[in-house]
Amino acid sequence: MDKQLIRDAYKTFWLENGKRPVSIFAFCQQLGIAETAFYDSYSSFDAVEKDIWLSFFQDTIEKLQEDEIYRNYSAQEKLLTFYFMWVQKLKENRSYILLQKENYRIPGIHPDKLETFRIAFYDYIREIIKEGYTNNEIKERKFISDQYVHGFWMQALFVLRYWTKDDSNQFEMTDAAIEKAVNLSFQLISTNTFDSLVDFGKFMFTRK
Amino acid sequence: MKEQTNIPTGKVERASRFVTTGLKVGTNYLKHYTKKLLDPSISKDELHADNAEDIYDTLSNLKGSALKVAQMLSMDKGLLPKAYTDKFAMSQYSAPPLSGPLVVNTFVKTLGKSPFELYDKFEIKAANAASIGQVHRAWKWGKPLAIKIQYPGVANSVKSDLRIVKPFAIRIVGMNEVDMDKYFDEIEGKLLEETDYKLELRRSVELSALCAHIPNLVFPSYYPELSSERIITMDWLDGFHLKEFLLRNPSQEVRNKIGQALWDFYQFQVHTLKTVHADPHPGNFLMRDNGTVGIFDFGCIKEIPEDFYINYFLLVDKEVIRDEVKRRQIYTNLEMIHPTDTEKEITFFSELFQKMIDMLTLPFTLDSFDFGDESYFNEIYAYMDYVSNLKEVRDSKVARGSRHSLYVNRTYFGLYSILSDLKANIKTGYPVNTPAFHQQ
Repeated sequence: MDKQLIRDAYKTFWLENGKRPVSIFAFCQQLGIAETAFYDSYSSFDAVEKDIWLSFFQDTIEKLQEDEIYRNYSAQEKLLTFYFMWVQKLKENRSYILLQKENYRIPGIHPDKLETFRIAFYDYIREIIKEGYTNNEIKERKFISDQYVHGFWMQALFVLRYWTKDDSNQFEMTDAAIEKAVNLSFQLISTNTFDSLVDFGKFMFTRK
Repeated sequence: MKEQTNIPTGKVERASRFVTTGLKVGTNYLKHYTKKLLDPSISKDELHADNAEDIYDTLSNLKGSALKVAQMLSMDKGLLPKAYTDKFAMSQYSAPPLSGPLVVNTFVKTLGKSPFELYDKFEIKAANAASIGQVHRAWKWGKPLAIKIQYPGVANSVKSDLRIVKPFAIRIVGMNEVDMDKYFDEIEGKLLEETDYKLELRRSVELSALCAHIPNLVFPSYYPELSSERIITMDWLDGFHLKEFLLRNPSQEVRNKIGQALWDFYQFQVHTLKTVHADPHPGNFLMRDNGTVGIFDFGCIKEIPEDFYINYFLLVDKEVIRDEVKRRQIYTNLEMIHPTDTEKEITFFSELFQKMIDMLTLPFTLDSFDFGDESYFNEIYAYMDYVSNLKEVRDSKVARGSRHSLYVNRTYFGLYSILSDLKANIKTGYPVNTPAFHQQ
């Protein structure tokens, strides 16, 4: 049984019914497959939902890697492009995501649904940060640099949340939000602003 | 307050930028007065320069409509201390650029393809910044093209930006809030129109065709199939912006030629088309050494209502002006004086306006005019300075001047200031005071 097929059928069920299928058995019957065939791919609906989020991410990355222009971009530009493409991908599934959001409130509050996506995203961001080190876009800082990934994850959740609430024409406010958020984050981790802030904090703390 | 729910982060961020500027401007004043304590001879020039710098930085970070307001303020040279004008004039050329990925994203979203697929060659680095967008250079069909791309979210932020800018504008221009409301409505409408690139494309094509017969003007061709609501593709025009052009020491003959072309362009639009390219800031004109001038950016178009047109240009007519009753009627029609004004106020303001109008319309009444005559402009600036400092004017609680006069005046201000920088000596007089005009 193809995983993609199950994911699509699951999304369709949500779109048409606005809720989960009552059981895996019922879902399989409707799909015309044996329940055991389902378990070959997924063990539960939760696993399907997680995989759907992951597939949004993976489809985006796949598309990016085909693009030669993307490969020549700087770390900051790569991340920008990722967000723009990711949001495009999400747009194809907007109804499903909004339904999920209504049922589970905002995705960030139910982070378990995003868990596999988060792990893949962390790997991707680590690559970007490494690239940023080599071409001096990002400054390596003891202890703190390890936390960058978490910051970018928060940023991704911010973009996701902003986009779910965006009602502007062609979601252009999301574009603006992405541009501003990424610029800000890269300015923070590249220049000395952040160092000065830490330095000041350390000074105040030790003086006491 | 409704807009707040739409773009909360944007607005807070924008507002906080202005707070920072406010603080900086405050510090500048503090610095100024401290220095002044130590050295009483110090002038306010440095203070104004500091303030202008900080305000400019804020506005250029905000881009969009705030930058547009900066441009408008910088047009009316006489209303601002010189340092403000110089710094704001820069906003006509440069603002921080958009990232490459966002440019590509805009293409993919609105035209379905990346710019690298659409054009033979596309420069991802912007060649120029426009107030609500930026211009890229590209090649296709063996010729260079100019691609104008709009910043995302500009239309959404127009309203909130204007609301934030307003207190600053009131400060800088010294106008009261009631006046501002009326004019801000007009500005808001025009700004929203400017964000509509489809409308701009249509108007550009129409107006370029209608004005094509005027000598020494060059209009680009536009390519609707490569344009969308956020992108306009047109021919790349060579030439220089006003300041760079003047650095090349063009001959008097060339400067006259360009000045004449611009004058004819505006006169034709105002008097014949009654629709005018109301954005005559130097960034919209490219001047060349052979005396021709390239014109683009028809984003800001003012349609001049018939009754406003008649009243406005009747003021140039010496015969009409002699007639006290007629004159008052015109002033009332143009909302320069109001039925609620006292006799004293009417006399006071009529005199002010008439003096101003006499000065500003002087070129219309002569056959030719030398815009290189600095004493003429100095006299205007001095008088406007005098007027804006009059207690009666500052205390006036009502708006004076119709909302239509805003963009029409701005157009003439812009034109005059370009002609003055060009020091052009040109044939004026068209077609005011001709029989055709009186029949209107």
